Amino acid sequence: MNNANRETLLSIKDLEITFGSGKSKFVAVQDVNFDIFKGEIFSLVGESGSGKTTIGRAVLGINPTSKGEIIFEGKQINGKISSKEKFQIERKIQMIFQDPSASLNERATVDYIISEGLYNYKLFKTEDERLNKVREMLEAVGLLPEQLYRYPHEFSGGQRQRIGIARALIMNPDLVVADEPISALDMSIRAQVLNLLKKFQREQGVTFLFVAHDLSVVRYISDRIAVIRAGKILELAETEELFKNPIHPYTKSLLSAIPIPDPQIARSRKNIIYNPNMHDYSIEKPEFREIRTGHFVYCSDSEAIEYKKNIKD
Amino acid sequence: MVSEGNILEVKNLNVSFRVRGSEIEAIHDISLDLREHETLAIVGESGSGKSVLTKTFTGMLETNGRISQGTVDYKNSRLSDLKLNKQWTKIRGKEIATIFQDPMTSLDPIHTIGSQISEVVVKHQGKTKKEAKKIAIDLMKKTGIPNAEKRYNEYPFEYSGGMRQRIVIAIALACRPEVLICDEPTTALDVTIQAQILDLIKDLQQEYQFTIIFITHDLGVVASIADRIAVMYSGRIVEIGTCEEIFYDSRHPYTWSLLSSLPQLARKGEDLKSIPGTPPSLYKKIEGDAFAPRNQYAMGVDFKAEPPMFKVTDTHYAKTWLLDKRAPKVEKPELIQNLHQHMIEMTKEDN
Amino acid sequence: MQEKTNQSKIYEIDTIVPIANVSEDDFAVVSLNSKENEKIDTPKYSYWGSVAKKFFFSKITIFMLLLMLVIFLMAFIQPLFSGYNLESVGNINDFKARYNWPSAKYWFGTDANGNSLFDAIWAGARTSISIGVIASLITEIIGVIVGAVWGISKKIDRLMLEIYNVIANVPSLLIIIVLSYSFGNGFWNLIFAMTCTSWIGTAYFMRVQVMIMREREYNVASRTLGTPTKRIIFRNILPYLTSVIVTDVSMSLPSFISYEVFLSFLGVGLSQNVPSLGRLISQYSPYMTSYPYLFWLPVLVLALITISLYIIGQRLADASDPRTHL
Repeated sequence: MNNANRETLLSIKDLEITFGSGKSKFVAVQDVNFDIFKGEIFSLVGESGSGKTTIGRAVLGINPTSKGEIIFEGKQINGKISSKEKFQIERKIQMIFQDPSASLNERATVDYIISEGLYNYKLFKTEDERLNKVREMLEAVGLLPEQLYRYPHEFSGGQRQRIGIARALIMNPDLVVADEPISALDMSIRAQVLNLLKKFQREQGVTFLFVAHDLSVVRYISDRIAVIRAGKILELAETEELFKNPIHPYTKSLLSAIPIPDPQIARSRKNIIYNPNMHDYSIEKPEFREIRTGHFVYCSDSEAIEYKKNIKD
Repeated sequence: MVSEGNILEVKNLNVSFRVRGSEIEAIHDISLDLREHETLAIVGESGSGKSVLTKTFTGMLETNGRISQGTVDYKNSRLSDLKLNKQWTKIRGKEIATIFQDPMTSLDPIHTIGSQISEVVVKHQGKTKKEAKKIAIDLMKKTGIPNAEKRYNEYPFEYSGGMRQRIVIAIALACRPEVLICDEPTTALDVTIQAQILDLIKDLQQEYQFTIIFITHDLGVVASIADRIAVMYSGRIVEIGTCEEIFYDSRHPYTWSLLSSLPQLARKGEDLKSIPGTPPSLYKKIEGDAFAPRNQYAMGVDFKAEPPMFKVTDTHYAKTWLLDKRAPKVEKPELIQNLHQHMIEMTKEDN
Repeated sequence: MQEKTNQSKIYEIDTIVPIANVSEDDFAVVSLNSKENEKIDTPKYSYWGSVAKKFFFSKITIFMLLLMLVIFLMAFIQPLFSGYNLESVGNINDFKARYNWPSAKYWFGTDANGNSLFDAIWAGARTSISIGVIASLITEIIGVIVGAVWGISKKIDRLMLEIYNVIANVPSLLIIIVLSYSFGNGFWNLIFAMTCTSWIGTAYFMRVQVMIMREREYNVASRTLGTPTKRIIFRNILPYLTSVIVTDVSMSLPSFISYEVFLSFLGVGLSQNVPSLGRLISQYSPYMTSYPYLFWLPVLVLALITISLYIIGQRLADASDPRTHL
């Protein structure tokens, strides 16, 4: 795929996000650069504390940014923007949350939860139209119309997550930030939710920023993957390229930690443990470089030469 | 009294709970032997009863739950007859210890890590405080805590999630248990930390020779650690066998579904294999096979009668009508038919 | 028992397991209705239905509720018929009517003026209960609204905290006494004096609760859906605080009634001609030893009112907490 011809939906440039101030100032995200193309599923993979969720929330305007730009459909959306503009962007960028039991209003019916955004933006003319929209959406996520007036806690975890997906996608968003949408779910339910997201991408051209901590999950769903650690993106490539040619040692360590569902191979496999002190950046400063077309790695000059040698086709 | 080679035996166990005035069956007719020094993985989704089952081994059932039928034996004692907390203290921790998913539930936030370990050493091994500190630091080193001497005096909040779980393991080991129940010990952890904790548990078992019950909802995780695997669904063991038998030659359609829905096996461009619907609610009385409504191989009989346990080999049993002579011979899903071959190819391709 | 042993029996594979009522045809793969799997088996939940069920479950609660109902009915209906007047001295010269101990004719006895204590108590109770209810309503309505806005808005937080710190450091009773003195006696003046600053305590309490709820994930979700703050307060936050608000009411009701009693005892607050439980207790306190019924019966009724209100409030607060609905 030639990325030059693709339309960029979201562009993040030199993003920095800090929390606190003065002595307790903490830099959560630094020097982050990436583009998300229209219609793709872009995954941001990292472990807890890596800053992946922080970036996702910054895109939604929940976390303020301290440096850099977030550009959505050609317009900057971070920093100072008018509340009217913000309101319009809020409809176009939606979120799916990690914990389906914490992110739904337990005192509201499914009907209200899914309609909440419709009410806010008056996205219907008559009450019948609204109900039809909600019913259609309910069906699209595999729930039953008779469950419209039930409360979230009456549903199972997987069903609740689908309610969360329904309320985000009924807004007809251009971009959906899915923040670890399956990590709180049982194994047998995860596939349902992933297939559902894939379906919306395929059928409605929705673009996703998929935040995850597990590479095995994102391999199936994403077009491109960025690996993030301690607030910095270490590697970015198309999915198959990343799995075939993982370059950064941290990516290799993440790949080696994926459980293999095969006892004979699993028992003999060794974990690669990543030591962040292995890089010598005292003289040569590292940068985010394109090692080959579309494959970026955070490394120094000499590391880049070394990495290029070991690439296989 | 358990048979030779076994350390724990469960016979025809039923556990029920009183909820909103009605009796709910959480465990239905489970029989299970735990062999000495083995690692038995219990795999099932939430609500399958996997944690309830092991809670009967340590007397930690919630107050509205009770063993309504059957027995649990540990060595010479009948655990299912124990009533008083005092009787349980001889078993709990000392003989059978549990590691939970969230390490903070087992740690005291206002005491130092070191004091929490050495307190257990003093209590269970009868050592002096000075000796206990030495043993505690030793345990911290064994569970992979760097700078153990220094970190001895730190508090739980100064530790990361993975390090806390190591401490919980160290505390469990300080009691020198015979059986270690690991209740989803890695679910809340990052993947790289999960891999390290699994390695740690394996290494420690080599050294201390305890028996492990490993509870998880992720079949993928147990391939490297389990000797045997029991698959639970809706309060029943639906399939049990050696690790190889479950991964390479499973017979129950639920096990097939669990295996084929693993994202590691997914093929690009195809939908992930998913299990339709949701697990049965315990409120509804189960008739026939609990998995039938979600089973693409379900037969009429599955809705009428509960299947018995069929014996596949001496170590492998499955509870499905598909093993009856009258049932049609169905092949397991293509995705998992040559699992080993498939995985070898995949790992080669990916380095 | 037969069935149980049968179930535990283990069969070799490819044997024919004997089962009743099953034919060869039952061993054919059937097609599934995938929608069937999504059905919910749990009984349909209704919040207020569960609150009522939980609330009426306890016999003590029902007893207290009945007791409260009787007291309220007596207080608001009996005075309409008795024509009681606190300052009436019509019977003062009728010696037979004075200082009667409780009897079949005078259920609660009579006082020095020959007035029936039974009539006096219900007339007094009416005033006291009215004061408690009205003052509580005003306090809660202002307190909850101000507290909700205070908890959500970061802008007014500092200003409100300063105001709160000043007011909270002065004993509320002192404020009420000073205000009562300066506005003069009277029913509405007393209510004004009582509620003038009392709402800020409730508001502060609500602020803390709202701040805890504010950052909960479902509220973040509402914000990403463009939900305005007003709706977040009314649809997302206040419904979760029902139990907390009821608890607050159940404590403020009895305390306002006690304030009235205490102030009337001091001779501040209500006008001279208005009967209230506080006034009765203060008026009859000299008879504590000579005619003890005159003192103790009003005290008893006061105690029954505050205790029943408090217990009902607490039980209602418990019942409205969904965690108790399991």
